[in-house]
Order: sequence, then structure tokens, then C-alpha cells
Amino acid sequence: MATTATASSPELITPTGEILGPPVIETRGLTKIYGGVVALDRLDLSVPRAAIGLLGPNGAGKTTLLRLLLGLAKPDAGSAEVLGFDTATQGLDIRAHVGYMPESDCLPPGATAADFVGHMAEMSGLPGRQARQRAADVLYQVGLDEERYRLIKGFSTGMKQRVKLAQAIVHDPSLVFLDEPTAGLDPPGREDMLALITRIHHSLGITVVVSTHILEDVERVCDYVVILNGGRLVLAQPLRELGGSGGDLLVRVDGNPELFLARLAQQGIVGATAPDAYGNGWGELLIPNTGDRAYDAIRDVAAELHLPLRTLRRRERSLEDVYLGNFENGTANGNRNGQ
Amino acid sequence: MEVSTAANPPAAAAPARFGEVYDRGYAHYEGPRLGRRHAIWALIVYSVKRALGIKKSWTAKVIPIILYVGVSLPVIVGIGIRAFLPSAKVLQYPTFFGLIFTIEGIFVATVAPEMLCGDRRENVLPLYFSRAITRLDYLVAKLIATAILTLTISFVPALILWLGFQLLEKYPLTAMWHHLGDLGHIAVAGTLIAFYLGAGGLTIASFTGRKSVAVAVTIILFLSSTVLAQALFHAVSSGIRRYFVFISTPQTVIGLVNGLFNTRSDPMVSAANFSVWIYIIAMSAVVLIGCAIMYWRYVPHD
Repeated sequence: MATTATASSPELITPTGEILGPPVIETRGLTKIYGGVVALDRLDLSVPRAAIGLLGPNGAGKTTLLRLLLGLAKPDAGSAEVLGFDTATQGLDIRAHVGYMPESDCLPPGATAADFVGHMAEMSGLPGRQARQRAADVLYQVGLDEERYRLIKGFSTGMKQRVKLAQAIVHDPSLVFLDEPTAGLDPPGREDMLALITRIHHSLGITVVVSTHILEDVERVCDYVVILNGGRLVLAQPLRELGGSGGDLLVRVDGNPELFLARLAQQGIVGATAPDAYGNGWGELLIPNTGDRAYDAIRDVAAELHLPLRTLRRRERSLEDVYLGNFENGTANGNRNGQ
Repeated sequence: MEVSTAANPPAAAAPARFGEVYDRGYAHYEGPRLGRRHAIWALIVYSVKRALGIKKSWTAKVIPIILYVGVSLPVIVGIGIRAFLPSAKVLQYPTFFGLIFTIEGIFVATVAPEMLCGDRRENVLPLYFSRAITRLDYLVAKLIATAILTLTISFVPALILWLGFQLLEKYPLTAMWHHLGDLGHIAVAGTLIAFYLGAGGLTIASFTGRKSVAVAVTIILFLSSTVLAQALFHAVSSGIRRYFVFISTPQTVIGLVNGLFNTRSDPMVSAANFSVWIYIIAMSAVVLIGCAIMYWRYVPHD
């Protein structure tokens, strides 16, 4: 049965981080157990159309989640939808609209890149001539124009990763899952791959899910982050909101910082520290952000001690701070969905 | 200079002009998507090509070429002798199937591992199963691809032999009409042998990712099955011994061919004295059991 392809929708996270449109991935109580080991534990998730980073240490449940979302495994409890299709009953529909780039080496060494990517396009339902044309176009897009008629066994790791990426997008999917796309790449190769992923999302309009344990990769290419640990959801929210979600305050005052800290403690602001060398009076104090009370205390103490208040700013939390903070606290934050 | 986009290439009828510039920017695919059947057919064609070594190095083509030459020789010789000695009955169909059976066995032993082991060893399966096909679709495609190839070495040469014999007759069309029964028997024998050997070879190949192991195990089982069947047949004197014929792959095929063409060429098969239908049922059962084992091997256990 011939159907007409639908063009991918543009990203639906605005520059200010506002989420528009229906979620591209939605799970409700999604649970998967392998031989008594809980791989995914009651996962409630709603992810918008975006460049999505799926973060977590080894064994966090990332690959299990991808398998469930592709309809390749059945959940023990709960349900999931991808692009509006139910993963339990509409796996074929999902896989027709989704691309997948596995982490492992999965290319036949005895085939040429053009042959293999063309074959994968045909496997996605494209007629032979169109499949060959698409393969040539996509291989050009990933930077393998000249090499496409060479056998894959002669390719470097970076070139193989590009072929894997090409086969994942050759059928023009609306959503593409990339499992550890920068694994095994040297720094220049990694830069190229991240640039390609950025391009796939921003220029080609394909929603991207990057499963990785490399925080920097997510910071570089993603605008939404999902963090898993031990099969449970730790965090799911736009990357832009991470920095503004309760970061500590950095304060710089002239004069005696110890006295300033002592007076703050008397005001009930405990836990303030002077992390930098502070002998010259130009370092910054790190003060827990307890909201308006902290701002009022800083203002009052500085006025009371007649200390010039040089700086008062919120410390931006990096993804690493959030990631490590959550893992130091275990999953104490519970299944917090940022939406 | 004219600029065309990848999505809107210039009309095919228009002659290509020197110096034309194409914008190869990414364009969304807006052509037809043909669904699962097309995907299965694409997998069949790709698997057949790879098994024959097409678009692979020349070393991959050597064994298929040798086997096709090997199976063509009896056909050429048989038709040649009939052309010069019309009265000679040198190559009857049961004899022909007996002659090419070893070649068929070697062919399946090399082709079946090529079908499954490569995908498993090279880890291509996750890519196939992330496409809009089921695991059953994958197995069906591989079974059909193997059967197509085996048919080219079992049915097609026998068909050419039959056609050659009829064309050498004084009235070829009349001869064809009179020998349609032989053609039907050739079709049944060729098709059943193709699926029987193909399913057996694929079942063995589904247990390993190493082609060399699958080839060795297939050939060893192929040879040892006859030895085992003969040993048991002679060791046991009760009525049950006639069923040992089904342990041997060659004897089962000989039983089918003898039954179809009403000849006797093997003492063990003659002693077993089964009707052709029993051989057809036994071989079909082997095909179904092989498919069930492969399905079990490829269905996720989660």
C-alpha cells in the first residue's frame, strides 16, 4: 500500500524555552523487568519535539527505553506513545516514521556505503530508484559523497558513524534515536558528529533523541534533557531552565567577609561559604539561595556593616551540577517531571 | 546557469546541459512509501545478491560459479547425448536428481550461512528490526531467498533438461504435451527439495554467527545422517527400522524422487517401501519444524 510521506514538523521549543505542541514521546507508568531486575520503573515522561538528550550512567535504562519506544520490546506495565502511536500495538507504524542509529558496530564490511544505505532506504519502503537517489543525497549530507562507493571495511570509525547516521535518516523520519553517536570518535570526529546532529535537528527539522552518558554532548546539541538513573526518571526539562532553577547566590563585598558571613548566619542564612581565596577582599561568597529571605538578608547585612556590595548574582548551574547533584542525592528527588 | 533543487530535478526529457548547477541541499522525501511487502522483497533481492557474491569481491563469486557450472554439466551432456543418440536413455530424471544432489547439498551449505550468519555476526539485525518489518517477515524473506537460490540449482536445471529433451523430438509441442506429467513431477521434486534443504541449512545457520562453523556443521550432518541411518537400518530388525530412512537427508530425497517417477534405485528406500505422500509429508514437516526453530531463535525472549 503506497502512502505519501509527511514532512517533519519544525522544532516546537521556542528560543525562550517555551514548549509548544503535543509531546513527541509520552510514557505512563512504563515498567520493564528483566529476570527480576527492574530496568525501567514506572516511568512517567512527556517530551516535546526538540533535540532531546537522554542522559544516565550505564544501566540507567536508556537502551531499554529506546527498545520500548521502538516497539521492539513489550513493557511489563504501563504504556508509551511515540508520535501519537502506541508502542505496544503500533510498533510497525512507529518504526516507519522513526530512524535508529545503534551504538554498536552494525555495518556489513563487505558492502559499499551507497549500497547499504540504499538497501536500508528500500527496507523502509522507498522504491529502488528513489532509494538509491536518497542514499546518494543523504551520504552527501553526512559528508561521504566521494567515499560512498568504497567498501565499508575500509572506513574509519568516524566514517562508519556517518554511515550509521545516514541509514537512520535516509527514509526522512520525523524522529531519530541516536544511541551514543560520539562513541569511539576522536575529538575532530566528535566535533563533526555533534555539528551533524545539530544540523539534522535545526536545519532538517528532524526531532532528535541523543542517548549518551557524555554531558557535554547534550549541552552542545540538545535543548531538552531527560535524566535516568536506576530505571527511574530523575529529571526531564528544557536545558535552559536548569540554570535558573534555584542556583546559589554569588556575592562579593569589600571589607571583612568573615564578619559578613557571621552576620548572615545570625540572620538565619546558614551554609554560606567563601570558596575562593579571600585574603584581598575580592573573592566571591557562595550563599544558599533561599529565595527572597536570602536577598533581604544580604542587603540588610551589607547595609548594617557598611560593606560595599560589589556583586550579587545567581550562580548558573551547569548540566554537570544538576547531574552530579541528583546522583549524590540518589533519586531522592523522586520521579520529577519538569513539565 | 540554471539552478535546480534535489526535490525538483529538471525534466527527464530535457537534454542535460554542460555547466548545469544542482542545489544538493537536504530535501524532505515526498515520494511513495511502499510498505512491508516491498521491504520483504527488497530483503529477498539483497540476500540473493549477497549470497551469489554480486557487488562483492571476486572470491565471493567463485564457489557459486563452480557449483552452477557443476550442475550445468549433466544437463549439457544429457541433452548432447540425446541429440546424437536419440534412442539412448542415458539420463533419466531420477538419475539426474541423484547426480546433482551432492552439488545441491554443498550449495545450501554455503548459501544458508551467507543468509543468516552475516547479519548476526556483523550485528546488522538491530538495523533491520528497527525498520517497519517484523522478525517473522525477516525469516520469511530469508527462507524465500534461500529457496529461490536452491530452486535455481534443483528445479531450473531439471526444467532445462526436460525442455531440451522435448525440443529434440520430431514434434516438440506434441512431446511437451505428452510429457507434462514429467514436468509436474520435476516441479514438485525441485520445489520440495529446495525448501527441505533450504530450511535445514537455515536452521543450522540460525544457531551461529560464524559462517565457517555453519558450513562445516551442515556438511557433517549431511554426510553423517546417511551413515547413521544405514547403521541403524542394519542394526535393527523390527518393523521400526523402515522409519530410519527419514534420518538420512539423501535417502529422503531419493525416496521422494523414486516415488514421483516410479523407479527403484536405493535398497534402503526400496526396503522402507513408503508411498510418495509419506515423503512429501515428512519433508514438509522438516520445513515447518525448521521454521518453528528459527522463529524461536529470532523472537525476543523478553
